[in-house]
Amino acid sequence: MMITLNPQTQKKLRRFKAIKRGYYSFLLICLILVLTTFAELLINSRALLVSYEGEWFFPTYTQYHPGTDFGEDYAYETRYRALNARWQAEGSENWMLMPLVPYSPYENDSANGVFKPTAPSAAQQHYLGTDSTSRDILARLFYGIRIALLFALAFMVVVYLIGISIGCAMGFFGGVFDLVFQRLIEIWSNIPFLYMVIIVFSVIPNTLSIAARIGILLLVMVLFSWTSMTYYMRTETYKEKARDYVAAARIIGASNFRIIFKHILPNVLSTLVTFMPFTIIGAISSITALDYLGFGLPPPTPSLGELLKQGTATLRTAPWIVMSSFGTLVVILTLVTFIGEAVRESFDPKKFTVYR
Amino acid sequence: MNLSTPRNLRFIVKEKNMKTRVLQSVLPVFLGVAALLLSACSNDNGKATESAESAPDVTAEMQAFYDDNPEFFSFKTPADLPAGLVWENGQHLPDLGSPEAKKGGTFSYYLNDFPRTLRRVGPDANGPFRGWINDFMIPSLANRHPNEGEYYSALAAEWSISPEDRTVYFKLDQAATWSDGVPITADDYMFMFFFYRSPHIVAPWYNNWYGTQYSNITKYDDYTISMTIPKSKPHFEDSLVGLSPIPKHFFKELGVDYVDRYQWRFVPTPGAYIIRDEDIKKGRSITLTRLDNWWAKDKKFFRNRFNVDKIRLNVIRDAAKAFEAYKRGDIDLFRLNTPELWYEKLPDSDEDVQKGYISKDTFYTDIPRPTYGLWMNTNKPLLDNKNVRVGIHHALNWTLVIDKFFRGDFRRMQTSADGFGPATHPTLKARTFDIDKAVSAFAKSGFTERGADGILVNAQGDRLSFTLSTPYGRYGDILTILKEEAIKAGLELRVEVLDATAGFKKANEKKHDIQFTALNVGGRYPRYWETYHSDNAYDQAFLADGSINPERKIKVQTNNIEALADWDIDQLINRYRAAVTEEELVATAHKLEEALYEHASFVPGFVQGYERSSHWRWLKFPDDFDVKESHYVYEGQLFWLDDSAKKETKSAMKAGEKFPVNINVHDKYKVQ
Repeated sequence: MMITLNPQTQKKLRRFKAIKRGYYSFLLICLILVLTTFAELLINSRALLVSYEGEWFFPTYTQYHPGTDFGEDYAYETRYRALNARWQAEGSENWMLMPLVPYSPYENDSANGVFKPTAPSAAQQHYLGTDSTSRDILARLFYGIRIALLFALAFMVVVYLIGISIGCAMGFFGGVFDLVFQRLIEIWSNIPFLYMVIIVFSVIPNTLSIAARIGILLLVMVLFSWTSMTYYMRTETYKEKARDYVAAARIIGASNFRIIFKHILPNVLSTLVTFMPFTIIGAISSITALDYLGFGLPPPTPSLGELLKQGTATLRTAPWIVMSSFGTLVVILTLVTFIGEAVRESFDPKKFTVYR
Repeated sequence: MNLSTPRNLRFIVKEKNMKTRVLQSVLPVFLGVAALLLSACSNDNGKATESAESAPDVTAEMQAFYDDNPEFFSFKTPADLPAGLVWENGQHLPDLGSPEAKKGGTFSYYLNDFPRTLRRVGPDANGPFRGWINDFMIPSLANRHPNEGEYYSALAAEWSISPEDRTVYFKLDQAATWSDGVPITADDYMFMFFFYRSPHIVAPWYNNWYGTQYSNITKYDDYTISMTIPKSKPHFEDSLVGLSPIPKHFFKELGVDYVDRYQWRFVPTPGAYIIRDEDIKKGRSITLTRLDNWWAKDKKFFRNRFNVDKIRLNVIRDAAKAFEAYKRGDIDLFRLNTPELWYEKLPDSDEDVQKGYISKDTFYTDIPRPTYGLWMNTNKPLLDNKNVRVGIHHALNWTLVIDKFFRGDFRRMQTSADGFGPATHPTLKARTFDIDKAVSAFAKSGFTERGADGILVNAQGDRLSFTLSTPYGRYGDILTILKEEAIKAGLELRVEVLDATAGFKKANEKKHDIQFTALNVGGRYPRYWETYHSDNAYDQAFLADGSINPERKIKVQTNNIEALADWDIDQLINRYRAAVTEEELVATAHKLEEALYEHASFVPGFVQGYERSSHWRWLKFPDDFDVKESHYVYEGQLFWLDDSAKKETKSAMKAGEKFPVNINVHDKYKVQ
């Protein structure tokens, strides 16, 4: 949907910017999105840059480098941290640049010989400590947030595409089409969503890659979530349909498709936009809840829910796990809520309302 | 009719009621249906309260069954007993209970989930609650002495083993009664076979076992019986003396509605504890009450055991919460078998431990070890290649798991049958983590190149990648450790942690690639037929000449979850099963282990050689703490409650006084 910035929209944007809390939350979320997009450069067990015998390597996004590439005697992925430590100890001419946090979210790195939660320590560069199998919590959180945010965005886009299309069609065509679809949606929305996800996910063949399985999880969640959006779109379209500009467009000879998407949709957009942040919150919460219950992303995919689960089981012995995961969840959800409130307010035609 | 329907529907009704968006037009109909269902549920809710005329009577059916199987059910007179029987009673064995034990008090413990039934047989009966009404509590004809390995008299006062005719003769203890006062007689043992072979109980395993493993029961008089097995084998008496009767008078109403009718009725027991109706608090707790005048309370091997008056089992669904309940003193004992519990949640430095309020005990046991390990499905592509399997063996870093995750407390399992004494192979060692050996084994099977992510690929472009699934959520961490290490050898393991039901189902249907699981084992000798014989892998696995049947079909719902079908192993198993002397049996077992090692489809995992637990100071245990063949610290009911110690501890806790620290290692039965 390409929307030209008419004065109305510009005014809304100005108002959004003027609401500082929401605006800065928006900037912060954008920053988090950008940072997590490049997570591999910030938090990774692979070096950013290796200078070995005068040659430069950038292993981050390339194929794996077996240890033999750097003069080691093993054919599996180079252990960059260990190699770096040795080079430094030997005063070698070779050197490498490690990311800020030199751990991948998957590796078990035990400092004291056993796999157990260790408290945050700047010296070991485990800035938020490690989880119950000595994996870096910051790394797992960071990659977990990335998956959750991308998942939520994708979820929102698909849910809105379906919800808008069907909702608008129901409102626009009305009659039997509307009646039948309403009943279908009522039935559909009464299927308990969580149980369905659990059932469907238990029969998915596990031979699929993790990405495919996340895709299926997304699809299942969308399948049971698109219905609520149709209600709002339906009523809004009903309202707009009766207006003069729609009649005018019809007289000119515009097609139904054009009327819906070119004329009606921009006018009902304000309703949509105010819902968006809350849909995102819903998606993040759902995926976290599913992970918490053990039905979400397949292990060992980093996820907020899995960390929360570990955290609640070790409240007393390793409070840093629950603190960091719970804290992150609260921060993300609060930021999105702030954005949502600001968006709603800036789209509100009444400037002075009780919401302020 | 599906008997569980009413309960399922009730659940849905609840769900719907929570929805606020119910349409006006549907509402009245809906409420009507809901009311109907709720009334239907209330009937199903409690114990069966059928009126007398609807209750079936199984007596005629039972009699007909006896008449139809005259070679199985024999009726003779005491004069027919063979002459020269040598009667045993095991009275020379040492006592089990401690003479210091006191009676009384309420022992509080917890259950992860409320039991789904009080039946001991039939659907849902094989749950974790089973031990409390069956395994820990019910004596059999003669019980195995858990320290000495010999039998002692329980329901039978004496018995006589006659290997020539594969029969054991029993003189029943005439004092023995059911918990409702009815004497236990020969008829209850006859009825036992009828009961277990009845289709009404909906328990195919029991139908099969009691239908095939026994060939005769003879009643000489009310208190004298003999039982026979069809085929001779070493220590054949094990499967006979371990039997426990079924109360004929109680199951008079056995019929097609058995599952429902007996769902919440406590079955009379020959054991010390009963469950009263008022002590069943659905979903919350269940309490066992000791019989004051239990018939066996003064018998040599039962005295000073079963000491507490009541055993209260509260439902605490979350493991972390259960531990907090223990620390609060709400429950008296807690098992600490994970390193996290032992070292992190209740470290030696814990205040309650240091002040002596709580003890910590490590008790070494000597039992057949559950087979924790990786079971490869040899019916899957690539896994049917022996070199791949050997490579996987070498790509798994169990040493790391044991040293770093289990902190060196566990041991590596070496064979598929550890802990069976002489029957366990004495020298065979499991393959160890060795990247070079793994890579060369994978190379032999065509996996020579590494892909962009370091995982091996073969000439056809197949990745060396398998799903590693497990029904054990608590061990998911182990698999991720193995996964990270296996990448070094170019092997990808996709970890899949399933819930228990889905996990076992997957393996039973042979849909897994590699499953991390364990079978519980027991008895004197390992069993091979169930897990490794081709009969349990395929229908008609081989043609008559021993070559592979090209049209064979995989057989599901058996314990051969590796789909292992090997002609030579089959022959060995047949020899093992037919062995009549102990030497032959043991020698064949060793050969079998070597063959299984060569076949390389089972990766032995780890062995926990001990049971770790902790208990409050007022819970007392015998000097030895527990018995050699113990799975659960409360299994033998050897403990007792000391009321004065409880008062003393509580007042000391208030005053902040200390007792001596109580951290013990009981290594009398440690296996070196």
